[in-house]
Amino acid sequence: MIRIRIVIWAVTSVFIFLILGLLNLEVIHGRMYKDLGNRNCVRLVAQNGSRGAILDREDNIIAGNKLSYDLMVLPQDASQREKIILDASRILGKSVKDLKNAYKVNFVSSSIPVVLARNIDIKDAISLAELKVDLPAIIVQPNPLRYYPNGKLASHVLGYVSEIDRWRLTKLEDYGYKTKDIVGFGGVEEKYDYYLRQEEGGVSFEVNHQGKFIRTLGFKPPLNGKNIRLSLNIKIQKIVEDSLSDKPGAVVIMDPYTGEIFAMASSPAFNPAVFAEKSNNEIAGIFSDSRSLLVNRAISSSYPAGSVFKVIVGSAALESKKINQNTSFNCQGSTRIGNREFKCWSTHGIQNLAGALAYSCDVFFYRTGLLIGPQSIHDYALKFGLSKTTSFELPYEEAGFIPSPLWRKINKFRNWFDGDTANLSIGQGDVLVTPLQITRMMAVFANGGYLVSPYVVKAIDGRDVSLYQEKSEKLVIDRETVDYVRDGLRRVVSDPKGTGSVLSDLPVSVAGKTSTAQAPPGQPHAWFAGFFPYKNPRFVICVLLEHGGPGYVSCLVARQIIQEMVNQGLV
Amino acid sequence: MRNSFLVILVTALLICSLGVLSIYSSTYQKEGKLWQTIFERQVLWIILGLTLFLIVSSISYRRLWDWTHFLYIFNLFFLFLVFILGAIRLGAQRWLRIGWFNFQPSELAKIIMVVFLARYFSRKSTDSIQLSSGKFGIFRGLILPSFFTALPVALIVEQPDLGSGMIVFILFIAMLYLTRVRLRYIVLLVSVVSLFLPFMWHFLRDYQKDRLLVFLNPNIDPLGAGYTIVQSKIAIGSGWLFGKGWLSGTQSQLHFLPESHTDFIFATFSEEWGFLGSFALLSLYYILIRQGFLIAQRTQDSFGQLLAYGVTLVLAIQITVNIAMNLGLAPVVGVPLPLMSYGGSSILVTFIALGILVNIDKTRAVF
Repeated sequence: MIRIRIVIWAVTSVFIFLILGLLNLEVIHGRMYKDLGNRNCVRLVAQNGSRGAILDREDNIIAGNKLSYDLMVLPQDASQREKIILDASRILGKSVKDLKNAYKVNFVSSSIPVVLARNIDIKDAISLAELKVDLPAIIVQPNPLRYYPNGKLASHVLGYVSEIDRWRLTKLEDYGYKTKDIVGFGGVEEKYDYYLRQEEGGVSFEVNHQGKFIRTLGFKPPLNGKNIRLSLNIKIQKIVEDSLSDKPGAVVIMDPYTGEIFAMASSPAFNPAVFAEKSNNEIAGIFSDSRSLLVNRAISSSYPAGSVFKVIVGSAALESKKINQNTSFNCQGSTRIGNREFKCWSTHGIQNLAGALAYSCDVFFYRTGLLIGPQSIHDYALKFGLSKTTSFELPYEEAGFIPSPLWRKINKFRNWFDGDTANLSIGQGDVLVTPLQITRMMAVFANGGYLVSPYVVKAIDGRDVSLYQEKSEKLVIDRETVDYVRDGLRRVVSDPKGTGSVLSDLPVSVAGKTSTAQAPPGQPHAWFAGFFPYKNPRFVICVLLEHGGPGYVSCLVARQIIQEMVNQGLV
Repeated sequence: MRNSFLVILVTALLICSLGVLSIYSSTYQKEGKLWQTIFERQVLWIILGLTLFLIVSSISYRRLWDWTHFLYIFNLFFLFLVFILGAIRLGAQRWLRIGWFNFQPSELAKIIMVVFLARYFSRKSTDSIQLSSGKFGIFRGLILPSFFTALPVALIVEQPDLGSGMIVFILFIAMLYLTRVRLRYIVLLVSVVSLFLPFMWHFLRDYQKDRLLVFLNPNIDPLGAGYTIVQSKIAIGSGWLFGKGWLSGTQSQLHFLPESHTDFIFATFSEEWGFLGSFALLSLYYILIRQGFLIAQRTQDSFGQLLAYGVTLVLAIQITVNIAMNLGLAPVVGVPLPLMSYGGSSILVTFIALGILVNIDKTRAVF
């Protein structure tokens, strides 16, 4: 009978249909459902190690870690979640709306706990943890948090830590970085993030449908990041920052022989703790501040050099035998070059190089510069490490700039005139340098002819890395020239009429060069670069005050710094 | 035929033991004495069922012909009784407490309706050996049997037990089809019912509406009505080819899957035994169904033949609807998987059905 056959066939085909359905579910989509099943019952709770600490040269903590508590909630159980949000809002004094918002923003996937509030008070943390008896979905997670015992101290050398941004993530994904990782931004934190970075550990455990713990599946202990010891001395750093107070500018203090940085300050500074604690309003304040708080003025911004550049012009002239130690020019307050009158800032009369350095005579250097020519000045400037980065470790270092006739022709389609040479000779025109470059240049005269490579990291995880830093390089320059210029630099301070004579009554003998770099439309930049003690220099110092006025102002700051260092027995 | 008796008995027992294993696996971790011993109770039901199977298989099925009207009224009476005395569990009033046993009359109703319909359609006219159902007019061929079917179906659906109601209705249509009732009557019935479907929507309980809606799209409410279907699919899907192994299924062990020992036992089984295990289980069921059809085809007596078809179809429909529901291919309706799901009524009724089948074959052989 045909109907019977049809019924039997119908039943058979339904069975085949079911088997196909099974095949589809278990074999074709099996992997997907397996993942879903695991997500159902496997929970991951991350445990963070602490980021490596950043220490000064005497192992004082500059950036360490403290415990903070985060309130998290397992997202599976909606009814528990509501209750937790209500209780948390009562305990933390936050509005329910804020917490719900936080939940929405921080939700990643249903198997990962969601952060409701960060950095909660220890008392609140305890009272929230007590709720866990009734609400197992609540998690109070202790987290190491960046902690800065000295506040703003050395903030530009350190940088800050924050959640990874998209740009860094695309670059660093292959090195195991993930979204929401905390990474360093700027300074040592960024440069040595790979070492400082902790390795995340965690527990995975199985839960039942109520989110109740069943058993532990795996545990990976978190690893702490490696500590980094800097060459900074927090005492000197503190003196420097106090002396700068909030004036825009930068100070670098460096060992003239090794290039170790003892202090590097940029002001105005920011408080890196603001980023660690994610206080959004203050972060916005830092970013919107017109004084660019985050810029490390010691390396990341370049300024016209002004008279400190004369040191190079003088050395170049001696080296190229265009002048000798007795060559003198008569300064009558100005000199005519081409058809333009070039002024000196005073009338100095007849003087040789040493005198011209001491009084910072412009006319002497106009003449000298014209004698040796712009290309030679440019070449010597490069020899002294200008117009290129110092290959310092910290990121975002500026190279600065030294113009040359060739560059002018190629890039500006203009010829080079003697007036340009004159401007170049006194470090004006297009000359741009960073305070660190000037420090390094000054170190050449302190150490007798070596161009050092500045560095700030002494040891990583207890291992001395200064061996791996670039060695200092002996400049091809006569010792006699160096000594002569050095002597001139001493006269800047020791000569009663020297531009740096304000530093002469310090208990240590200082040598150096002031500079008043014209930077219209504002006040000129005030520079002082020098070293002390004069006989056996142990420190090179460079003070820059952005639009700070005449070089004298920087001398006052330098004086205050050196005085305080002497007072504290650091010299 | 001894042969069919053995095949059916062995297959049924194999399926039952897989069922007990799965029930044990899905409940042994639950707290409470009741849960710990639930598989023992299932074993007890199976033993009782076997006894019933042996008893029924030795009583001639022709007795059923004689008892038809009594059984039908008895059935309606019990279904009424459910309304008055029924125990309410899981939001439905489906059970009658008889001593320590919660009896579910809607399970028995399926078999009784098979007997009733088999008798109704196997009437013969006095002048022909042919069944008279082919010549039935619209009244005797459609309206009258529809009425007799609608009566218990309405009572069952009202409990509410939409699944059992649906199964009886499908069975009714299949029996109509098998008994040579004119095709146009069947088409008429199906189209009338289809026309009324939109109106019937309003009579559904809210949870039934939800279940139908989530069947169409389980993701509309993954933690509410769609939860079961999603979890069941996850359980089956995560089994892969070889399964997670007995006692290692996370979905059922950790209670993500509701009703993992009753309606969703197939998902439990499939998670732990994988595609191969599920394929084997489906094959066992198919052997059982195939035997039923073979018995029906061998039977000359039209009542016996219809009865055999009907009984086999009841089993086949329940099996396929339940598995389809587990796979997310049918809406979630409370239909147990015969011989696997925990539950006395289902086990006993299934064994009775198998007993009837074996008896039909045996009686035929004796003649």
